[in-house]
Amino acid sequence: MSNATTRIRPWGARSRVAALAAVAVGATGLAGCAGGTESSAESTGDAPADGPVSIEIWGWDELGEQVVDAFNAAQDGVEATYVLQADNVAMATNFRNAFESGTDVPCLAQGFAPLTTMVVNGWAQDITDVVEPSLGNYNEGAHNAAQVNGRFFGLPSGSDGQYLIVNTATLDEYGVEIPATWDEFVEAGRELKEHDVHVTNFAGEDPTALMNLAQQAGAEWFAIDGEEWVVNFEDAPTLQAADIVQQLIDEDLVSNETYQDRPALYSYFDSGNMAMTPTQWWSLTGLQTNFSDSLGDWKATTLPQFDLANPVSPGRTTPSFVPVGCEHPEAVVAYSDWRTTPEGIEAGRNPETDAVGLPTQIPDPAPYAADIIPPGFFTDDAEAAEVIVDAQSKVIGKFELGPNYDAWFPEMQDQWGKAVAGEQTIAEALAAVQQYVEDDLDRKGIAFRDAS
Amino acid sequence: MSATAPVTRQPGTRTDEPTGRARPTGLASPPRRRLRWRTMQNLKGASLSFPFAAGFALFAVVPILMALRESVYTQKSSGLGFGESVVTFVGLDNLARAVGDGVFWSAMWRVFLYAIVVVPVTQIVSLGMALVLDAARRRIAARFRIALLLPYMVPGIVATMVWIFLYSPAVGPLGKFFGLLGLDVDFFSGDMVWVSIGNLVLWGAIGFNMLILYGALQSVPHEIFEAARLDGASEVRIAWSIKVPFVRASLVLTTLLSIIGTLQIFAEPMLFRSVTPETITKDFTPTMMIYNQAFQVGDINYATALSVVLAVVVGVASAVFYRFTNRTES
Repeated sequence: MSNATTRIRPWGARSRVAALAAVAVGATGLAGCAGGTESSAESTGDAPADGPVSIEIWGWDELGEQVVDAFNAAQDGVEATYVLQADNVAMATNFRNAFESGTDVPCLAQGFAPLTTMVVNGWAQDITDVVEPSLGNYNEGAHNAAQVNGRFFGLPSGSDGQYLIVNTATLDEYGVEIPATWDEFVEAGRELKEHDVHVTNFAGEDPTALMNLAQQAGAEWFAIDGEEWVVNFEDAPTLQAADIVQQLIDEDLVSNETYQDRPALYSYFDSGNMAMTPTQWWSLTGLQTNFSDSLGDWKATTLPQFDLANPVSPGRTTPSFVPVGCEHPEAVVAYSDWRTTPEGIEAGRNPETDAVGLPTQIPDPAPYAADIIPPGFFTDDAEAAEVIVDAQSKVIGKFELGPNYDAWFPEMQDQWGKAVAGEQTIAEALAAVQQYVEDDLDRKGIAFRDAS
Repeated sequence: MSATAPVTRQPGTRTDEPTGRARPTGLASPPRRRLRWRTMQNLKGASLSFPFAAGFALFAVVPILMALRESVYTQKSSGLGFGESVVTFVGLDNLARAVGDGVFWSAMWRVFLYAIVVVPVTQIVSLGMALVLDAARRRIAARFRIALLLPYMVPGIVATMVWIFLYSPAVGPLGKFFGLLGLDVDFFSGDMVWVSIGNLVLWGAIGFNMLILYGALQSVPHEIFEAARLDGASEVRIAWSIKVPFVRASLVLTTLLSIIGTLQIFAEPMLFRSVTPETITKDFTPTMMIYNQAFQVGDINYATALSVVLAVVVGVASAVFYRFTNRTES
């Protein structure tokens, strides 16, 4: 048996077919991606003897090139090139292919999956020593999000804190108060149901509603204990969140509009038949441009809480990372640090909306909050900006999703879909996911302990 | 030498005379030349199939061999999963697991039931349209032929997106249309999902099938129709008793392609998963399960084993159908 056993880089074999297929089919596309960079075999992070360090940055941010141009103009030490990817999925495919082929691997990759996945797959390099001197530029949540098992494998990245938007016209019409706790949220749902209004929407394909609630309640689905994972999808906070969700489903207080049918979703949100929804700062432009009747009726408010004494907002992120093979992580950190400066933030101003994105990674994003409020959407823009900043200050940056997130998330989608349709309970769904995770980890040979 | 030289120059004798037969050993050189000439001709002929053979080898044979190779290995991590994986030879373990995987076979059964309905319906509708086109004037037929082929040119994913918007209970026109008739039809409901998918698959497939059948109909000798008409046969009778039997071989071909395509259905249910997630799970069809194993779970070894099983099933289904139709014909 030992003869047939070879040691390989994680994911090496499993991606070999895809990589070869890409060589045959997509070679042109890849060549195009890396075009113009006379790079080494391992990475694009070259350091000519007499000139700036070159790094290649891959991402699907349409403003990326404009930001990189400003960065190049602002300093002389690093020359960055931005390679625009079509989207998250294209980024994942192209990165995997480049990494497997060992050529033209970027020096900075926008996070297309949870950080632990990047580490398990052997893609992200440990940049702890390089990033530690810069930590003062980032907030605590950003620090947490960038670590796996106490080491920095990602660049400090801000998580988008959730808050609630409520349709004041609907609430006023039926005399319903804005809920401060999740129990009050359910109660508001009961009152609204009498008028054929749903309190919120749970898309049947998207279990992140449950994940957010669980995270907010303090759940810990995955934790590292020594040399093993501790897995528990059924801890007390998760079951507390599940209880809220179950009540909303059982009493038919929520709608189940899908994200796939966007026009229908927006039309429904705009109709006044759905009273409120948790959201995050980047959703606002999409909502504002697709709403008509309800524009000006929405009010931003703090997300309902489980514990009013310790308010928190859920929020996760997929940090950008420095791939294994890049020889100049310090140049990447320099770029990341520059993006926290007023100049770096300004470089991301969108020429179409004339707004900069909310720099959620910096210690105080408050000065930029007013910039992200789309005109005519809220009843009170200043109040909305305050709520968003407050949500950012309370965001839980870290929610460990374990070493096999890609495997279990589709299973959670299946189980969530059945629970939302009333075919099983949320508790049963969670138990099924727990079992699935254990089976998958077992097959993969990853050590774990069932704490459920 | 001089005796055989004229022989080789005589037309007709070069290819008709079997090489090497009744050939004196002392006259070996000219036959060799003749052999060479014939070999050259054969090679020239064979060279025309080279692009196909190369493509087939590169995109079918090589991937199949690679898949077979992948299916006999497995890889395992250890500890927290952060270290290197170990690839181990496991023989037929993955294939055995695939053969005994209840989830995979329920997906197969689901698609089989769907295929039993959708494959014949596709053929019947395509044949009906081909017959109508064949009966129409040529100029009119040409216009409709292109129009009917257009859906086939739309990529499956795009077609599915288009139909999802058409089906949308909130913004789509179809729900409103049925509403006018007093019917409350929800194309997104779990009960309707196969109907919704089948309808859009039919929409995309009939153009291609119709074109093949229409082409076959064009090659039916027209004097047979005239003879039938003289005998007093109606157009319907001509279609049923003459045209349909004549396109039988083409029908077998389109049905085979339809079986193969249907058992591998992927894009449509993948997108419909969002609208009826409680019905369409990640393992709803065999190819969806294979995709999930390969690109979500990350177990390429097991995914290839499942692919091998699916290929065998598709092959067997096609062979059974082919055998059955051939036997009936004989």
